[in-house]
Amino acid sequence: MSVKRPDDIPNNEYKEALLNLLYQLADDDFILAYRGSEWLGLAPHIEEDVAFSSINQDTMGHAAMYYQLLEDLGEGNQDSLAHARPSNERRNAILLEEVNGPGDYLTEPRYDWAFAVVRHYFYSVAKKVRVDSLKTSSYEPLAQLAVKINTELYYHLLHWKTWFLQLVNAGGEASIRMREAMDRVMDEFQGVLTLGPSGKEMAVMGLIEGEENLIKRWELALQPVYQSVNLAFPPKISMKKGDGRNGKHTADLDGALSTLSEVYNSDPAATW
Amino acid sequence: MSDKGQNFYQEFEVFSKRSDGAPMQHQFSLLAPNHELAMVMAQENFMRREPVADIWVVKRSDLRVMTPEERESVKRLDNKDYRNAKGYGYLKKKWRQYEQEMLDENEIMSWGEMVKKK
Amino acid sequence: MNNLSGQMTEEERMAHFMKKIEDDEKIEADDWMPDEYRNALIKLISMHGISEIMGALPEKEWVPKAPSLRRKLGIMAKVQDEMGHGQLLLRVAEDLMKPYGKTREHIMRDLFSGDLKFHNVFHMEAPTWGDAGLIGWLVDGAAIISQTNMLKASYGPYARALKRICAEEVFHAQHGEAIIMALAEGTDEQKALVQDAVDRWWEALLMFFGPADAKTTGTSKQDITIKYKIRTKTNEQLRQDFFTKYVPRILSLGLTLPDETMYYDEERELWIYKQPDWNRFKEIIRNNGPKSKERLRLRELSYDNNAWVREALSPSGRVS
Repeated sequence: MSVKRPDDIPNNEYKEALLNLLYQLADDDFILAYRGSEWLGLAPHIEEDVAFSSINQDTMGHAAMYYQLLEDLGEGNQDSLAHARPSNERRNAILLEEVNGPGDYLTEPRYDWAFAVVRHYFYSVAKKVRVDSLKTSSYEPLAQLAVKINTELYYHLLHWKTWFLQLVNAGGEASIRMREAMDRVMDEFQGVLTLGPSGKEMAVMGLIEGEENLIKRWELALQPVYQSVNLAFPPKISMKKGDGRNGKHTADLDGALSTLSEVYNSDPAATW
Repeated sequence: MSDKGQNFYQEFEVFSKRSDGAPMQHQFSLLAPNHELAMVMAQENFMRREPVADIWVVKRSDLRVMTPEERESVKRLDNKDYRNAKGYGYLKKKWRQYEQEMLDENEIMSWGEMVKKK
Repeated sequence: MNNLSGQMTEEERMAHFMKKIEDDEKIEADDWMPDEYRNALIKLISMHGISEIMGALPEKEWVPKAPSLRRKLGIMAKVQDEMGHGQLLLRVAEDLMKPYGKTREHIMRDLFSGDLKFHNVFHMEAPTWGDAGLIGWLVDGAAIISQTNMLKASYGPYARALKRICAEEVFHAQHGEAIIMALAEGTDEQKALVQDAVDRWWEALLMFFGPADAKTTGTSKQDITIKYKIRTKTNEQLRQDFFTKYVPRILSLGLTLPDETMYYDEERELWIYKQPDWNRFKEIIRNNGPKSKERLRLRELSYDNNAWVREALSPSGRVS
């Protein structure tokens, strides 16, 4: 099956599954890029601050392109999709909305670089698996977008893998912090890998591969890295705080939404 | 002052080229703890808005650079036109006597393309 | 001069150095230079560099809050550039400080202790989205005026860094103009955001170029920097240039300036304006501005909080 444009969508079931998938993809990238943007100016090293910001810009750019696909499907304009939806309508994984660490980005931020590295690295691997699968999606605009987005993922992976391996291998305090961050990330990582309640339909309609395949390929991609640093494989993943694909979220997301939409909400009709 | 993190600041020089056919060009220097991290930070620090085909990072301590005194040794007199086409410009007139065009630089450098056209 | 400089006397070295300056040749990091020149450069460039890093903070407040996807991306890229400019300039300063055994660690510590100052504008509050636009438009506008004045600086590494920086400042100015333009053409509330920001920033913008002469505040490095061809224009000339370029644009958007006495004296070809409170300026750059402490705290916290990363990755053994 191949659907070339919004008008060619065969039935409501297909559209429902497609919308669900697009919201997951867009919301994941958007909220993680937002969390990354809070790091700006606070990274462990000036040169890294600059590099990290490029990755956040790329990622928010990807979110904007997914929101554009939603806009093309009549879901409203991309800025309102990004800024105006309440938390129970968001479909991002809970892991990606979690705060960067104690404190606020303006006052007393004690952000955790180990958590940033682990969360971004494992997410980049998962994103790469997903985007590879989307390249053959039955919805052609999405397949074409996946090819584009794929271009920028090589750098994200290289960057985060380098940081990950170096800090895991550093020994001492760094290794302990990294181990703790990995435990924390694994507790919620199933929330990133799941396709939510309509995952089966997505696979049947050829929008993306099934969840089990994606998880297996994510594990395979991480296997050599795990083995090179003598970590038990495969990592045990769960989603202790719930499934964001169902619209379930934490107070962290509410905090983020009120900040990121503060100006937008002062006058949603205005041109900014 | 804690100086345990001091060695983090190693100096690297960054080089890049814009396209496969372009020469390597020096860009700037950055601080990083090792080559791998220098490499993943290089492009975004200095080439955020331009195409890049390849990047080198070189530890500054591995570069043998000239001392200011040695830099005096690169100067030379402008009396070496026998090394350049400029010193053989009179041939143009000569060839004209034999009703031939001078094979100058423009002409010769265009031959590569001539072959391609065939 | 045919002696190798190793054999030169101090006077010969100085004469050789000054001849290079006069011939508009560039001085490089490992060239001999008088202490006065090196120290003036260290002071100027480390202050410039750390101001870029501190300058990221007021705008950073608005990065997560920017009101559209495009504005979020634009301001992220802009603040990223500020950090990037800080990187370029600190590298130049660090190479100059090398003979004194100083590194980036020292620059940061000097900032936290108050020994290293940063630009007055970055001590100020940025309470609305209008400030985010105004910083890009007018603060960066002022920065462009002062930085382009040093593009031909006699110190080669600084001139090369400035060339990169000024190219990006063009984007910054346009990013700021785009925000301001949208507000100025928007609702009454949006227009008010811009006017409030202009009123709030005007005095800080005047101060940005520094006092006209040393008498005003007791110190001024402008004479030394002009003597060594690090810059060409005086503080007052730069301020006048800023007025000439920006006052007509501010007025053209229907905005007013918070100085009714200001006018252009055609005969003297000079803007006449109300002097800012230079005592307040001195207080601000002594880290007693409205946001000085808070921003320094943010910078210091992020530096200390991440110390474990730098320690973990510090290669053991010799420092190269």
